[in-house]
Amino acid sequence: MQVRLADVVKRFKAVEAMAGVSLTIEEGEFFTLLGPSGCGKTTTLRVVAGFYDPDAGSVAFGDTLVNGIPPADRGIGIVFQNYALWPHMTVYENVAYGLKIKRVAQTEIARRVGAALEQVGLQGLGGRTPGQLSGGQQQRVAVARALVLNPRVLLLDEPLSNLDAKVRAKLRSEIRRLQQDLHITTIYVTHDQEEAMVLSDRIAVMDAGRVLQIGTPVDLYERPESLFVADFIGTNNLVAGTVVSVSDGAAQVKTSAGTLRGTVVGRVAAGAPAVVTVRPEILSIAEGRSDLDVTMRGRVAISQYMGNVIRYEVETGDAIVLLLDVHDPRRHHLMSPGTEVVVGFPAASALVFASGATA
Amino acid sequence: MTPPPLEAARSRPGLRRRARVPALVWALPIYAFLLLFIVFPLWRLFVDAASTEDGRFTLSHIASFAGDSFYRRSLVNSLIVSAGTVVGCIVIGFLAAFLLVRYDFPGRSTFSYLTILPIIMPPLVGIMGLVFILGRAGTVNVILMDYFGLSKPINFIYGWHGVLLAMILHYFPLVTLNVLDGLGKVDASLEEAAEALGSRGLRKIRDITLPLVTPGFISGATLVFILAFADFATPLVVGMQDLIASQAYLNIVQYIDARLFKMGIVIGALMAMMAIVFLVIARRLVTLREYAVVSYRAVERKPLTGVARWLAPGFFVAVLTVAFLPYLGVTMAAFGKAWSLTPFPTRFTLSHLDQVIHLTPIFLINTIRWSAIAVAIILAVGVPMGWLLARSNLPGRGAMDSLVTLILALPGTAIGIAYIRAFHFPLPAVGLILSRMWVIMPLVLAVRRMPYTVRATYASMLSLHKSMEESAASVGASGLRTFFDITLPLIWRGVLAGALFSLMFALQEAAATILVFLPGWETMTIGIFTYYTSGTIGQAAALGFVLIILCALTLYGVYRLTGARMGGLFGSGGGS
Repeated sequence: MQVRLADVVKRFKAVEAMAGVSLTIEEGEFFTLLGPSGCGKTTTLRVVAGFYDPDAGSVAFGDTLVNGIPPADRGIGIVFQNYALWPHMTVYENVAYGLKIKRVAQTEIARRVGAALEQVGLQGLGGRTPGQLSGGQQQRVAVARALVLNPRVLLLDEPLSNLDAKVRAKLRSEIRRLQQDLHITTIYVTHDQEEAMVLSDRIAVMDAGRVLQIGTPVDLYERPESLFVADFIGTNNLVAGTVVSVSDGAAQVKTSAGTLRGTVVGRVAAGAPAVVTVRPEILSIAEGRSDLDVTMRGRVAISQYMGNVIRYEVETGDAIVLLLDVHDPRRHHLMSPGTEVVVGFPAASALVFASGATA
Repeated sequence: MTPPPLEAARSRPGLRRRARVPALVWALPIYAFLLLFIVFPLWRLFVDAASTEDGRFTLSHIASFAGDSFYRRSLVNSLIVSAGTVVGCIVIGFLAAFLLVRYDFPGRSTFSYLTILPIIMPPLVGIMGLVFILGRAGTVNVILMDYFGLSKPINFIYGWHGVLLAMILHYFPLVTLNVLDGLGKVDASLEEAAEALGSRGLRKIRDITLPLVTPGFISGATLVFILAFADFATPLVVGMQDLIASQAYLNIVQYIDARLFKMGIVIGALMAMMAIVFLVIARRLVTLREYAVVSYRAVERKPLTGVARWLAPGFFVAVLTVAFLPYLGVTMAAFGKAWSLTPFPTRFTLSHLDQVIHLTPIFLINTIRWSAIAVAIILAVGVPMGWLLARSNLPGRGAMDSLVTLILALPGTAIGIAYIRAFHFPLPAVGLILSRMWVIMPLVLAVRRMPYTVRATYASMLSLHKSMEESAASVGASGLRTFFDITLPLIWRGVLAGALFSLMFALQEAAATILVFLPGWETMTIGIFTYYTSGTIGQAAALGFVLIILCALTLYGVYRLTGARMGGLFGSGGGS
């Protein structure tokens, strides 16, 4: 089921939680709404669910406009951040409740609840109450409850944020596998960009009630369209300066670490403030390299050895700290703090953004 | 792991748009109730205080009240007695709460139950019981004169000191409960952080602990002040008339002198006004000092050692002994036969009890009848109100919230007078004269005792996350179905506990009802008051005894429901 939002506005008193959001989520797609807290992602999810009516704009499921249609009639299944399992009902009763409302026959209920519990790996736990389950198990019950009515759209509101790291990673891949098995259109809300990258077919990055960019994880990481996205997705080095010249989509930016070059994103003008972004894995130690056409002098401040990666914090220019990742540490001699070093990057791999208010 | 077939597409019913009834429509009857039974009588009270018999505006009544030195002295007396009560309650209440929460000593958990008990004793019964023990011819004085050769009885209770004693003993648990609640919420790390910086002992209590429990202090103290200020029955029993509440009562019930009657109205209006002013001040202070609880880990209880280990239980035994004296007095008088001039009754009888239960059961029947109807009204109006306050963003919600708090603070005397005035005339449109219909008794009780149920419902709703209801809605449960399948099963304990509190305080009501009742509608508290003031002591005590039993049973119900966390309604945690 395709889900379409067109120019949706939702206000709470003076706050515009959604300031004209337009999205198209394709049939069978795993789509994530990503952004910092207060960006409007949960509001967007709740508008899709039908818990909020938009103040303006339209929401459509397939060809049907669903504005004003209650959640239960939209064919959605929803998993809440706090699971919202009813503590006075057993696991079985929790999952069966929606079927009971729809007056499904008892034997059919038993069959479908059994299947749903098996799907999430909880067979045999139907008689427990939610209080007797671990956090991860509770989350699975919530997923089973959302899926048992065979919804056309599955909505997940930060479903993993209350779990510890190990369980989170495990459930993450289970959710993705389940979604692919069922081929169900899924909208997922999270503030965790790593989670979004790992799970999603496409991601919408939101900030202040607006969608800044929609794309695949690769698009967002490699081709951010705004400084906000460049900063929010993954780890990035941001160096502020003033544009010296622009030509052929490349710009020279004068910074306290020297004059840097990179590919222009959007519009930048000579003389205007700008920010150069370079990913830590792009930034390299210049020694023995000839492909780095932009270089800077600096000094190692901190080195972090992580086994597969060494991350250096290199101080340069006027209190600029650059992160630099060295992969394959075995072929590299670990530098101690205080070591003078020349670092650099290929100009084609750096991006230059005009620095507005969001810089 | 085979997914079930996607049956969604065919099993889905046709989409229907939601026909929304605005929450406002649901709320209209509640607004109407509040307007008619709270706002209107209060407005009427204020108007009456400032107008002549034929309805013209005048300040002459207020001026003649202010110009009367007797009233001025009564007002000052009332302020002194109320302030004294507050100070006494704070000292005893805080000490009790602090000991119960922070320390371990012999009998701690027993004391934590017992400390709350004085609340079930209606103040009127309390002072009566106290007179039996400490009065001129009470147990203590008889013993002193017979065995210790005292020639004249000691005046333990007649006068302001008796009023203070009775009130402090009755009201200190309110401060205890509020402080228990506050102390229970102080995160251990807050005090540990202070200790790490070198702040210890009393210094730590002054700098860290006290400021954190201030909101509890203020709300407890405000409540006590207003209750003490408005109580007229207690002072009258020990013969103290020059208090403002007593004057209000005496002026109203004499019904003969129109000028005095008007004075009663003016005093009623003044008392209502003071309640409002105090509430506004208290609210401002509380919101100024309301701290968000970021995390929570309880402070560990320290075992007391050495002398303190026995001083703490000693304190409780002393306070509770005095607090329980009235129970002893009432019980002895209820079962004593012709008890006089001896320390304890010499012969016992069931005839007083028989009298009030079998021969003239009208008091008992009326009390149960009015209270039961009142609780029904409270449930019908208060539960939706709690729900609206917690779940809707209705216009006027803030006003509704303020009204609920205001009722809690409004003196029964003021409400009684307001009702007498407002419903003495035919209501517009319906033409009913409510003051002549028995329904005014349960109505005034319902209005007075509603806040407990509203607050309990509200608190239960707040602890029930909205997503619990939304997930039911998302699988197709209608609003009503959700309420009965999800909401109610999860909140009924809290609601019922609140309703039982409403019931208990309805049973005890002895101010508003004394003012609005007509012959035939008498409740037990009215019976106690009339029996006692007419010298029929045995029956008064027997009624008091039965009333205490009823209140105790109700409180026991609350205990059972809230898993012994009795303070639930006022906050939390009876220290157990």
